[in-house]
Amino acid sequence: MQTDDLIRSLAGDLAPVSRRMAQQRIALGLGAGAILTLAAIGLRLGFRPDLGVAMLGFSFWMKWLYTASLAVAAVMATVQLARPETSRLSGLWILCMPLMVLTVLAGIELLLTPATSWRNLLEGRSEAQCTLLVFVLSLPIFAGLVWAFRRLAPGNLRLTGAMAGLASGACAATLYSLHCPEAAATFVLVWYTLGMALAMAGGALLAPRLLRW
Amino acid sequence: MRASEEQLHAWMTGGLDGDSQAYTAFLRALAPLLRSFFSRRMSGAAGDVEDLVQESLMAVHARRGSYDRSRPVSAWAYAVARHKMIDHFRKNRREVSLESLEDILGAEGFEDACAARMDVGRLLGSLPAKQARVIRQTKVEGMSIAEAAGSGGISEADVKISVHRGLRALALRINGAKNADR
Repeated sequence: MQTDDLIRSLAGDLAPVSRRMAQQRIALGLGAGAILTLAAIGLRLGFRPDLGVAMLGFSFWMKWLYTASLAVAAVMATVQLARPETSRLSGLWILCMPLMVLTVLAGIELLLTPATSWRNLLEGRSEAQCTLLVFVLSLPIFAGLVWAFRRLAPGNLRLTGAMAGLASGACAATLYSLHCPEAAATFVLVWYTLGMALAMAGGALLAPRLLRW
Repeated sequence: MRASEEQLHAWMTGGLDGDSQAYTAFLRALAPLLRSFFSRRMSGAAGDVEDLVQESLMAVHARRGSYDRSRPVSAWAYAVARHKMIDHFRKNRREVSLESLEDILGAEGFEDACAARMDVGRLLGSLPAKQARVIRQTKVEGMSIAEAAGSGGISEADVKISVHRGLRALALRINGAKNADR
């Protein structure tokens, strides 16, 4: 095809584009995925029965703030990466902040607990199940983000995939805490983080294929 | 005549708001810029250059939502073009020849274009010091053969031979590495 004909056909198929299209599409993909994840939690796992009481306590908010702050940071990074000029990120250290805060909390928790009960803190009632569930629940959200990126132009596919994976893992973990009754900081630090890291690694691994343009 | 950044920006934002005349003008002005961007970086394969121009125009169109109106539109369009070029090299990885490597190295913006695929410093570090130095001087820093010869205290013929041998070794190495990770 001649380039001039191509230009004519492209201009013939022109719809106005919003100023904040990247943000809107990412929000839409994220939201649609989150609804699916939330539905899966509600229908298959069930919300924790003591949710109302738990929301008054510290450990619920600790868990929630940890995953939600990671989610916000990762989503912001993902938005930045949607433009072809951005191939690396400044301020990645912000992602380490929630992890550091929770590590300190877990350290305090371990100090206040006799060494003989450390196993209980770590294993809780569900241990590795949480890791797997966070990962599985992140999949709809990740799919939503992949959809969003079909109209965006990430310059660095692997990094974008990693951030999208982390964003979906952290969002999934945030929603999952509506089900999961575990309260120990040590537990969250190990198993939740592992689940989110899995989602991040999966994103980085698959991105060159899924996000290719 | 080349359209200025202001003109391109005005056309592009018009296009984003749905004005198809402004958008046509933008794409028409962009096409020759892309053509010279690619032909400077590819070894004269006119068909490939035109394919890349068209692929880039399609990507610019399909992904125009990723453009941030507060930034220069040419930088955005060149970033799209660079991505398409790297993708093209990746698809045709067997065909990285000595000539095309020389052209990529010679074109401005080389480091940007190739940063995603290879680490220049590491590659040059794997060559003998003299070859690495003259390649860096003539292909990256833009010195002439005579200047490189003067600064190294060697003959011009020596510079040419070292550049040639070094580039050939690099081309072999890159093709080898790429075939190995297939």
